[in-house]
Amino acid sequence: MSLRSIRLPLLCVSLSFAALALAADEAADFETIDESIDTRKALMEDVGAAAKPVGLMLRGEQEYDWTVALESLRTWRDVGGEFGKHFPEGSESGSGTEAAPAIWEDRAGFEAALTEWQEATSSAIAAAPETLDDARPILGAVFNTCKDCHDGYRIETD
Amino acid sequence: MSGWVRLLLALVLIAAAAGWWLTRPVTLGPEDLPDHVPDPVAGERQFWAGGCVSCHASPVDGKRARGDDKLLLGGGLELDTPYGVFRVPNVSPHAADGIGGWSMLEFVNAMQRGVAPDGRHYYPSFPYTSYAKMPVRDVMDLKAFIDTLPAVPGRIDEHSLGFPWSLRRGLGLWKRQYLDAEPVVGMPDDDSLVARGRLLVEGAGHCGECHTPRDRFGGMDRSRWLAGGPDPEGKGRVPNITPAGENLADWSASDIAYYLESGFTPEFDTVGGTMVAVQENMAQLDKADRDAIAAYLKAVPAID
Repeated sequence: MSLRSIRLPLLCVSLSFAALALAADEAADFETIDESIDTRKALMEDVGAAAKPVGLMLRGEQEYDWTVALESLRTWRDVGGEFGKHFPEGSESGSGTEAAPAIWEDRAGFEAALTEWQEATSSAIAAAPETLDDARPILGAVFNTCKDCHDGYRIETD
Repeated sequence: MSGWVRLLLALVLIAAAAGWWLTRPVTLGPEDLPDHVPDPVAGERQFWAGGCVSCHASPVDGKRARGDDKLLLGGGLELDTPYGVFRVPNVSPHAADGIGGWSMLEFVNAMQRGVAPDGRHYYPSFPYTSYAKMPVRDVMDLKAFIDTLPAVPGRIDEHSLGFPWSLRRGLGLWKRQYLDAEPVVGMPDDDSLVARGRLLVEGAGHCGECHTPRDRFGGMDRSRWLAGGPDPEGKGRVPNITPAGENLADWSASDIAYYLESGFTPEFDTVGGTMVAVQENMAQLDKADRDAIAAYLKAVPAID
């Protein structure tokens, strides 16, 4: 096979990777409003599902298991980086969104709340607490970032 | 003057006198204060149970106060309601701008009879119909605690209410219907967990103020005690917290106590809306108090 004949496929592959990367980065730009709302709701459902086992550990109703907690923390870290991309202008209402108007009125505050969540999550991952007593304040700090953000940036619906 | 004009005039005067009498402020006297040395430590428990900070702590940069700022009771929050704008007053112990110059009796009358030191009625945006159900000694302890907090300068403007709500005197009649010290839910008045929970929920905690729907005169509809209703502070609904309530039906007493402590539901969703501030207050109580509240909520009549 000549050098020339291998070049084109290579170029195609690299271009596809570039396009994929671009698509992932700009995901929100290509979403419709309804898709944005559906995506962020689905992401938050993943977050909630990950919260249950950790919450039960904190409540003392499930045995402390760092590997389980770590899995939840990774979910939160990943969603924490992604979540804020799905609040375009025009998605303030509809499709049963619980997003508060404050997200658009105080975007910087909302982004800061998301950053705090990611930071608390990353610190917890780095700390890798071995016992429940060690984990309690660390995981508690992560849970508090959930509350802090919901306090100002989520509305209560029926 | 002809006879019927005189009669009419007399009737109007009698009606006016009766109206004045019926709307007069009814207060407690010095003899109604128990022989009790106010205890600021016990008062701190009433302070958090009573949720004073949720309204009276001065907002910081337009947001609710956090941390130690909660202890600065300078007021200033505005409650935008269908009746007009209520402005929350300064209740810090500042002598001129707050309540630092008040006597114990004046404080108790404000809290439990909704009457200001100058004899005017307070509007029931200040939940004195609930505080009226607190033991007087608890109210005395509360004042002792508030007296230990920082004095915050700054007087808050009066409410801006529409007619006829701007006529305070009429509240005297309203209070005759809605203000009393009697418990709402009948149960043995002992030292049991559930009875202590009743005191916290019906009294200091004033849970019914939001969780009980209001009748057409704006009083709590006791036939639907804690059964939820429209959110008085905006859109949405306040949940039914009786054992029949959609939210609480599946919660155990320990779920309720854990929610009040941590702010997490049994599904580990977080507390939201105006309940966030309430939950933070409840988290300041002893576990025994949260258990008492939970026991009471499991014992109240279930209303669909």
